[in-house]
Amino acid sequence: MNRGYIQEEMLHCTDMTVLERQRARMKWHEDQLQQGYFGGSGEFCGGGGVFQGHEGHHQVQNFQGLVGTGGGDLVLGEVVSQSVKVVDPAGLKNRWAELGRLELTDMGFESCGLVNGTSSEFEMTAGAISTTSSCPPKVVVAAAAEQKGKVSVPVGKESSKKRKADKVQHTQVVVEDEPKDKRSKLCAEDGESKITGQTSTKNTTANNNNNNRESSSDTSKENSKASEVQKPDYIHVRARRGQATDSHSLAERVRREKISERMKYLQDLVPGCNKITGKAGMLDEIINYVQSLQRQVEFLSMKLAAVNPRLDFNIEDFFGKEMFPACSTSFPTIGMSSEMTNPAYLQFNPAQVVACCGLEMGINSSDMALRRTISAPVSIPETYIDTPCFTQPPPSSTWDADLQNLLNLEFHQGRSTSFPSQPFTGSIEASNLKMEM
Amino acid sequence: MRHPSSLKQEFLKKWIMGLQRCGFSSKKSMSVMERKKAIKLSADLAMASTRNGTTCWSRALIANASRNHENKILAEQILGPESQSLKKASSTMPPVICSRRIRSKKILKRSCSSHVRRVRKFALSQKVLSANSVAKRLVRKRTNILKSLVPGGEYMDDISLIEETLDYIAYLRAQVDVMRCVASATEVVDRNSD
Repeated sequence: MNRGYIQEEMLHCTDMTVLERQRARMKWHEDQLQQGYFGGSGEFCGGGGVFQGHEGHHQVQNFQGLVGTGGGDLVLGEVVSQSVKVVDPAGLKNRWAELGRLELTDMGFESCGLVNGTSSEFEMTAGAISTTSSCPPKVVVAAAAEQKGKVSVPVGKESSKKRKADKVQHTQVVVEDEPKDKRSKLCAEDGESKITGQTSTKNTTANNNNNNRESSSDTSKENSKASEVQKPDYIHVRARRGQATDSHSLAERVRREKISERMKYLQDLVPGCNKITGKAGMLDEIINYVQSLQRQVEFLSMKLAAVNPRLDFNIEDFFGKEMFPACSTSFPTIGMSSEMTNPAYLQFNPAQVVACCGLEMGINSSDMALRRTISAPVSIPETYIDTPCFTQPPPSSTWDADLQNLLNLEFHQGRSTSFPSQPFTGSIEASNLKMEM
Repeated sequence: MRHPSSLKQEFLKKWIMGLQRCGFSSKKSMSVMERKKAIKLSADLAMASTRNGTTCWSRALIANASRNHENKILAEQILGPESQSLKKASSTMPPVICSRRIRSKKILKRSCSSHVRRVRKFALSQKVLSANSVAKRLVRKRTNILKSLVPGGEYMDDISLIEETLDYIAYLRAQVDVMRCVASATEVVDRNSD
């Protein structure tokens, strides 16, 4: 049974991504700015990275639903809220609001599922995702409708009511047969009204139970019909009214979309590229950035060359000595603290220095030695060992999670000053300063 | 995409190994420019070999480094034992590139000259160029510049150019970060020792 559900959900997910693709494509045509960049998973995976992110996200949601039935009720809430946090700074601007709504609805559903506490949670999450993604429910809905008959009465009541509310809205959407871009907006509204519907249905009595069930099955039939009618529309490449439909121009359009998608990623990677619209300006910015990076490499190698006479990279000397056994415990976090040496944080000189040393220590402990043979070579490591940080693993382990999150975000944010990273950097700087003490 | 910090560690490891292999510490008689060149080359090659030769830019970087005669020995030294596998990966690039380059230059020259003539005629006959063509020209110009910046970019189409640029930027950033860390660390050491 479980497997069946999972398969259904998977089916649904794939289906949904096609729809998502549709919607996103409409939005591209509509307004370039409305494109969302989902960094959650595939940042660099070529193809539809955006949609993969989306799909992954939803699958994660599904998975959470499955896990939640196992036991940890509180965990679910936490995980959902975490996912909100994670997605939140990932560079979404206009799409964020919609996604937030999606997640809110998901959360609401999951919490309801927890109230129910039965196997109907599976459908709840699946249904939630299906409805929020404006996908006309097909197989899953039918299965869910069947399932509801088996579930105990109060549960069936609640969930079927919700389902009914959703379906009614869906059929409205389908029957009205509005243009696609409007539909995608409607689905967001759909999500909102679903929350309200949900809360209201909790308060109603058990009298309408049977009616609800019947009407829900009816609407599901209608929906499946409508989706069958609509299905031929969902092909990969489609021309809108007035666009050429021969294979060449279709291919050209696909190519252009691909390019603009990757440009979107670049825009997120290159700092100061966010506000620029237009390909030429963006390319200008990218060129400047690449040039500046290359020049920085030149400059730094020059600087190292100038410093270098007294700097010596010496490995064999180090391997015999094994100087820092204690550092290996706190190594990962300190190694990561070197991530914070962005140009934005360069003005915090002590913090950066410690971070650099952290990197060095990290490499030391990972059997690579960057050791300087100067007049007093042993004194430097000793001073670092004296700092209390290296002998205290517990605080570093608490930073670990934060830093993990932070580093996941790092690529999307680039160097743009972003709200979630501020507290973390603050804490890191503080801790680094502590280390200095 | 790998974790940035593990990437940086691997890069630093390879870089230092490369510096060692080219006998960086033993030759005290190196001039500053020589040393700088060695450092830069080893950093670039370390970056490329961190990418494992799976992308065009990294292969082109290695191929470019080993094509240049004076750099060839140095590059081989820096790459060391990995040079065989990496060369194998990148050896598909250079001959193809060379032959294509010569052939395509001729064609390019011919087509460019005719194109220029045509454009001039067009411009003379109709002085108003449409905004669309202007924008296209601007984009093409910038694309060409970007192609010259990204190693091996001359032989990419638009889509792969942008993908490679993405990847290249990520690795360049890691390289710059690591180099900056090392530079500031050495500065600190100097300050302490003085």
